[in-house]
Amino acid sequence: MTNLAVVFLTGLTTGGLSCLAVQGGLLASSVAHQAEKDAQKALGARTPVPNRVKNTTKQSAKKRKHAGTLQRPPAVVERPKRQFAWPIALFLSSKLAAYTILGLLLGWAGSVLQLTPITQAILQLTIGIFMVGTALRMFNVHPIFRSFVIEPPAFLTRYIRRTAKNSTHDIATPLFLGALTVLIPCGVTQAMMALAIGSGNPVLGAAIMFAFTLGTSPVFFTLAYLTTRIGGALEAHFLKFAAVTVLVLGIVSIDGGLNLMGSPLSLTSITDSVTSAFAEQSQQPIGATTPSADSPQAAPGNTITINVGARGYTPRMLRATAGQPVKLTLLTNETNGCTRAFVIPALDIQRVLPPTGETTIELPAQAAGTLRFTCSMGMYRGQIQFE
Amino acid sequence: MVKKVFRVPDMHCSACVMRLEGIEDALVGIKRISASYRKQQMEVEYDASHVTERQIIAAAQQLGYEAIPLL
Repeated sequence: MTNLAVVFLTGLTTGGLSCLAVQGGLLASSVAHQAEKDAQKALGARTPVPNRVKNTTKQSAKKRKHAGTLQRPPAVVERPKRQFAWPIALFLSSKLAAYTILGLLLGWAGSVLQLTPITQAILQLTIGIFMVGTALRMFNVHPIFRSFVIEPPAFLTRYIRRTAKNSTHDIATPLFLGALTVLIPCGVTQAMMALAIGSGNPVLGAAIMFAFTLGTSPVFFTLAYLTTRIGGALEAHFLKFAAVTVLVLGIVSIDGGLNLMGSPLSLTSITDSVTSAFAEQSQQPIGATTPSADSPQAAPGNTITINVGARGYTPRMLRATAGQPVKLTLLTNETNGCTRAFVIPALDIQRVLPPTGETTIELPAQAAGTLRFTCSMGMYRGQIQFE
Repeated sequence: MVKKVFRVPDMHCSACVMRLEGIEDALVGIKRISASYRKQQMEVEYDASHVTERQIIAAAQQLGYEAIPLL
């Protein structure tokens, strides 16, 4: 289950900076334009415009100080900082609302696709590969990875750019621009959007996008408020840091997809096999990480019982008799989370368990071997060893 | 109208595309700029009597990018 706290932290640490690169320019344009109008009012006369600068009926907005000579020279008048807080806050509020709605739609789209475990597995694998590709693009490993990006069409970016400059309304423009940022997500945001789709749940999708966008807000606000641009080299450094996060998320997603396919190749399955009988006590209160003589053996009638908790299945390792039908009982007790969506990929079994109760699944006789089970997201798993 | 392609090797994200395309609003004589992050280049369509190649390169430099004209 995607940890919302992790999503929030990702936004806090990385998203604010990379998002600022894409969207901050818009905000600063409109904010600076507002400041310029105020300055003109204060001075009581129009600032003279050099010939070279385009002066159409759409007033050209003042870019940030660093790009000064493109337009008129930077105004000497002190810009009252207090005035910036309000449009920035409006911008961020509407951005938050827009992205939360987007998350809702993405999660819903993901749920529509969630038909069978194998479909979900393919979806997670695709999302994971996209995220790894995005990370490699951000690391600038090879030009081929530049394809792992969703680029908005030129007409859209042109429209947004010019809207920012033509801001005549104090309230409407920041709100409008904030909402428009949904159409120009930056790299890390795209990775989060992929997560939202993968959650297959509109509420969770909305929560993911909300948590992430909220996380980006403080840094975004601060940097926009100070109207500083980070600068090319430093920006590239922060992009690398963000890329690490996306890479990790991508690997986790691929791993989840593999688990959902019941594949023994997932990182988690391999780790389980390699780890010895020393139990990971912090993770699992009962049982070892590989079926051993201590793993619970099936009761008479080949009955096995698994406790379904919010943080996983206990025991994770069980043993049962091969060649006989199996009675599998799943116990839930005010359980919430993806563990309630119990999946046995190899048998194409997917059952949503009630929050509290006892669910019995009859399994046909199994040959000797390992039968893996997992939650619907491939995050919590276990196995039944048939002997 | 002249169409010229510049290689911009420092484009590291789609934000750069937006910034570079913004030059079309800033300099008189530029009809259209189409920047591609994938190709790491930008195509500029401009009126040579109003704006020179050097000014375009200078404008890109102001934003922190090195624009190299492709022959």
